[in-house]
Amino acid sequence: MSEGYAHENELVSAESNLYDRAMDVGIALSITTFVVGMITFADGVSLAATGMELVTFFGILLGVVAGGVGIVAVFSYTNVVPITSQRVRGVALGLLVSLVGLAVAAAALPVSLATMLGLVMIVEAGLLVAAGAGSRFGFVETDPSMSAGLLAGIVFGLLGAAIGAVIVASFPGVPGVIAGVPLWALGGLLFGVGFVVLTVSPREDIGSTVPPALIIGILGATIATAVIGVGWQWTPENLSGGFTGGSVIPVFVLFGSLLSSWSAAKCRADFGARGRQYGAFFVINLNAFLMVAIMAAIVVFVAVKGIGWAFHDFSIGALSLLVVLAPLLVLTVQRARAPAGTDEWHSAARQFFRVLPLAAVGSFAAMLLGIIVTGTPFEIPYQYAILVDRSTVMLDTAFRVTPSLAVGNLLVIVSGTLLFTYFLRRYGSLRDVGIEYERLSPVRQAVPAVIGLLVLLSLVFVGIGPAPGGIPIGPTVGLGLATLGAIVVAALVLAPLGALLTGEGSLAERAHENAQLLNVGLFSGVALLFAVIVLEWTAVSNPQLGPLAPVPTVALLAALVSICLAAFAARARRSTDDTLRHRVLGEEVTLALTAAAGFVTLIGLHVAATSETAFAVGPVEVAIHGSLSWPTVLQGAIPLGQAPGGIYPAIVGTIWIVIGASLFAVPLGLGAAVFLTEYAEQGRFTEVVETATNALWSTPSIVFGLFGAAFLIPRLGNSLSLLAAQLTLAFMLLPLVVITSREAIKSVPDEYRDASAALGVDRWTTIRSVVIPAAMPGVVTGVILGVGRIAGETAPLILVLGSEINATNAIDVLGGFAFTTSPPFITNEALLNSSAALPTQVWGIITAGVSGSTSKGWATAFMLLVVVLSFYAVGIIARTYFRRKINYE
Amino acid sequence: MNNQIGDTDTDTDTNVSTDTSTDSQLGATTGVETSTTTTAGESEEQIRDEWTDYRFDSPAKLSVEDLNVWYGDDHALKDVSMEIPEESVTALIGPSGCGKSTYLRCLNRMNDRIKAARIDGSVELDGMEIYDPNTNLVELRKRIGMVFQSPNPFPKSIRDNISYGPRKHGEINKGLLARLFGRDDSEKEAELVERSLRQAALWDEVNDRLDDNALGLSGGQQQRLCIARCLAVDPEVILMDEPASALDPIATSKIEDLVTDLAEDYTVVIVTHNMQQAARISDQTAVFLTGGELVEYDDTDKIFENPESQRVEDYITGKFG
Repeated sequence: MSEGYAHENELVSAESNLYDRAMDVGIALSITTFVVGMITFADGVSLAATGMELVTFFGILLGVVAGGVGIVAVFSYTNVVPITSQRVRGVALGLLVSLVGLAVAAAALPVSLATMLGLVMIVEAGLLVAAGAGSRFGFVETDPSMSAGLLAGIVFGLLGAAIGAVIVASFPGVPGVIAGVPLWALGGLLFGVGFVVLTVSPREDIGSTVPPALIIGILGATIATAVIGVGWQWTPENLSGGFTGGSVIPVFVLFGSLLSSWSAAKCRADFGARGRQYGAFFVINLNAFLMVAIMAAIVVFVAVKGIGWAFHDFSIGALSLLVVLAPLLVLTVQRARAPAGTDEWHSAARQFFRVLPLAAVGSFAAMLLGIIVTGTPFEIPYQYAILVDRSTVMLDTAFRVTPSLAVGNLLVIVSGTLLFTYFLRRYGSLRDVGIEYERLSPVRQAVPAVIGLLVLLSLVFVGIGPAPGGIPIGPTVGLGLATLGAIVVAALVLAPLGALLTGEGSLAERAHENAQLLNVGLFSGVALLFAVIVLEWTAVSNPQLGPLAPVPTVALLAALVSICLAAFAARARRSTDDTLRHRVLGEEVTLALTAAAGFVTLIGLHVAATSETAFAVGPVEVAIHGSLSWPTVLQGAIPLGQAPGGIYPAIVGTIWIVIGASLFAVPLGLGAAVFLTEYAEQGRFTEVVETATNALWSTPSIVFGLFGAAFLIPRLGNSLSLLAAQLTLAFMLLPLVVITSREAIKSVPDEYRDASAALGVDRWTTIRSVVIPAAMPGVVTGVILGVGRIAGETAPLILVLGSEINATNAIDVLGGFAFTTSPPFITNEALLNSSAALPTQVWGIITAGVSGSTSKGWATAFMLLVVVLSFYAVGIIARTYFRRKINYE
Repeated sequence: MNNQIGDTDTDTDTNVSTDTSTDSQLGATTGVETSTTTTAGESEEQIRDEWTDYRFDSPAKLSVEDLNVWYGDDHALKDVSMEIPEESVTALIGPSGCGKSTYLRCLNRMNDRIKAARIDGSVELDGMEIYDPNTNLVELRKRIGMVFQSPNPFPKSIRDNISYGPRKHGEINKGLLARLFGRDDSEKEAELVERSLRQAALWDEVNDRLDDNALGLSGGQQQRLCIARCLAVDPEVILMDEPASALDPIATSKIEDLVTDLAEDYTVVIVTHNMQQAARISDQTAVFLTGGELVEYDDTDKIFENPESQRVEDYITGKFG
């Protein structure tokens, strides 16, 4: 009945009929009550709210919905995002109508929110009955089936039985038992049968409206008459607490609105097949919405509780943030450059949304620049709770962005490497382009040789130490070679710039001709300087020529030159129409940007290699300790004193546990999966192994913990240790890796194996170079899931790792390796010692009672969430990478 | 020299179901009791030895003697003997389930990969028995390449697809170590890729995107890529299992031209459902009919113009099959 006006452009056509609009409002009302139910469940608003408070609440909801509907309506009206479905339009309008109605009712009636929700449910029930009756007696034209169906009958029968039993049992003055049968059971049976008959026997329009209306009506009446009101409480004797109206009413409301949305949607779509589809659509979507809301609520809840402590005394320099922003800038530019469809008018809107992230990055950067220029820090002051002598003290702190121009070398390295990788992947090749100068080929051959020599020399210094026998060979040799290397790099990088600026022909021609110079100069420059820095590191040398450190100075110079080259090439590219030249110059721009990112990374690496000294140009400096201060993540606990320090040891512990467990479980699991899938005869044996693996995966984690504590620990030095924790969790991770890898390997098409075999390639090589690469995305998915589980695993860790809560020092696994001349030749103290870990720290704080700082516990939980999600992010990036590799994208 | 060949291959492949030719074999041979059983519309006759006794001057590249194949209890191929001349195109035709794909897969021992298959008989390549228990399968399959019914390129770049075989056989070395020691074979690889793609008549279409994923090519291009990949290991014999059945007419005609060209340097054995195709491209034709028997084998012209067997004539003129 809605086809007639499906192509009208007004939000709701004037011809729309009353029945459809009423049902749309009914659906909207159900959605509204559902949302309000969720809000009350999360204590977003009090159920006892009345009068002005309630009007304000509905007013806010109305504002939010009106904003959302309004913007869509505007875009729809202007034909940018045309919404043609009458149902969508109807529900949108219905949302506005019902919220206005609720706000007006809240102002007019002196009732609480709970009562009002009850009344709304009764209204919904009435609407459903009216719609069902209207259809049954032919006032509206619908297309119902003969019956609502047996499944609906059973569901409503069970619901009816429950309600009947409760009603009969609560009726005053009725004898409890008749002829040995409890009366409530009889009542339940009677109601249940009644509901089944009522649902199944009449036509669908009655069968799927009246029974839900009865249930919704009864639930609504219970709330509206305050039988179960706000003040209602049920305190079972054996519990210390009880159930209150505050937690029961939202459940009733959520359930009732789910039911009424189903029924109203059926009515709206005229029953029959379409009605069933539309009804199921609403129930499934609201259900999914509820699930998402629950998950989001968990994350938000933990974040809200923990974020204050987690960011205490956080401050970062504006320039550091700008460095972090650089990769984001590149990503948003890439997104903005993606083709935005056709030139039609509404593609303008798409372009707008494409550039939105870029604009956001830009305005953020402008804000940071503002901080730097004005010199005023940006601050959000707040208070957080700490524990001093077993009592909570509130401490002032702030989230700061300072105008500092110091940048930590780690930030530079990470950002620089990301950019370098990004541009390098985009860079294709400049092979056989431009003039091949004769003097270039010796350079081509010499540079790798020199790099090889430098690396060899570095290895020698690793072996003999920088100053064997007290003679400072390292620093001396380093001084000479590093300075010389820096000068060569400068020459390599300046050569293409010189060639580009001088010579004949247009800029584009010169850039095209000198492609090889650019290629060799920039790539050799980056590689050579990298080798020089490696030498600096192993020879412990940091050459200084007067006030200048040649290596980072050259790196900076080379970065600037590269940016100039990129700019020139980009300008030249703009001026040329020749397709081939256009492409070559594009490659040159990418190459120059790659080199620029590489040289900037090298500045960071230089600072890391020479440890103590910062590299400063005016007020800007790259240093070991930049301007980031984040005690929670960067410090251990401070035992005495006002500031509480942080949870760095626990974060490091968790990361090492996950890395260790994965290193152990992934190769082993993948190997087992390969054997079981590719080599083992499929049959009883593999079935048994498969069943055993699945069973192992569902084995409770505490059992693994007991195994670790009783079996591993006595064999590993008899003390709680990181190694035991890694192994225990590796055993937990193993089955999932086996299961998912097996599935992934099985799903690799046999054609690949056939093709490889037909080329005469043996089985193992085929597995290694065709089967496993194709199965990699699936394997990575399994590892992601498994790592998510073990990173937060607590019970086994308590048994094998302990639960330290105030660790002051982090374990140093890499630095813990020591070589000895007698067996076992290699030892690692850190692995055999206990460590803090995030989940055990949360547990430790909970069990520590008054000596545990609750706010620190929440912050730990929040950081645990962040760490797990970061592992997820890494896994998802890895999976995307492997997928891209095997799909043609 | 009747070796019982079961699982002498190190392969113990278990995924039988994906092999389409096997499936059709199993389906069609169900209920076959004797060699004279025929399908509907097929007249009864006794096969005579001289129908399959095809003589040629050049030495035989492949000679098959009394080859029998069973899939479980199904006798899929019965006493097939035939000799295949060098540098020619031999077409194998016949209705579905007649055993021609099975026969083809016996020639480079791909049937070893099917666990349920049991093979009995002798196949000689240049006089060397390939069903010898000590056969080097790697060498055998390098010398006898195969192209499958549906294009099956690896999910790798076009270049990597072509150089896959030689790289895995150690003829091209591109690893990190090779690069460090200056033994990088990139140029050799580039030559090989170009030569193979040119031979497969694909070079002009893909030479500017060798690093793109091969799955992005069209079906016909993918099949020619598979042929190029097969040529890259420099085989002597190329087996083709209905290489054009999944392709459109234009791609099919390109493949057919290619097969004709390849016959100048290689020995090609091709299974086809398409009788016109067999007539167009092959030098000699073998007709397999229901029951897994080789009924007639002779010059293509002879088979198509004047077959000895009534059943072959009926099949060729489309009375059944």
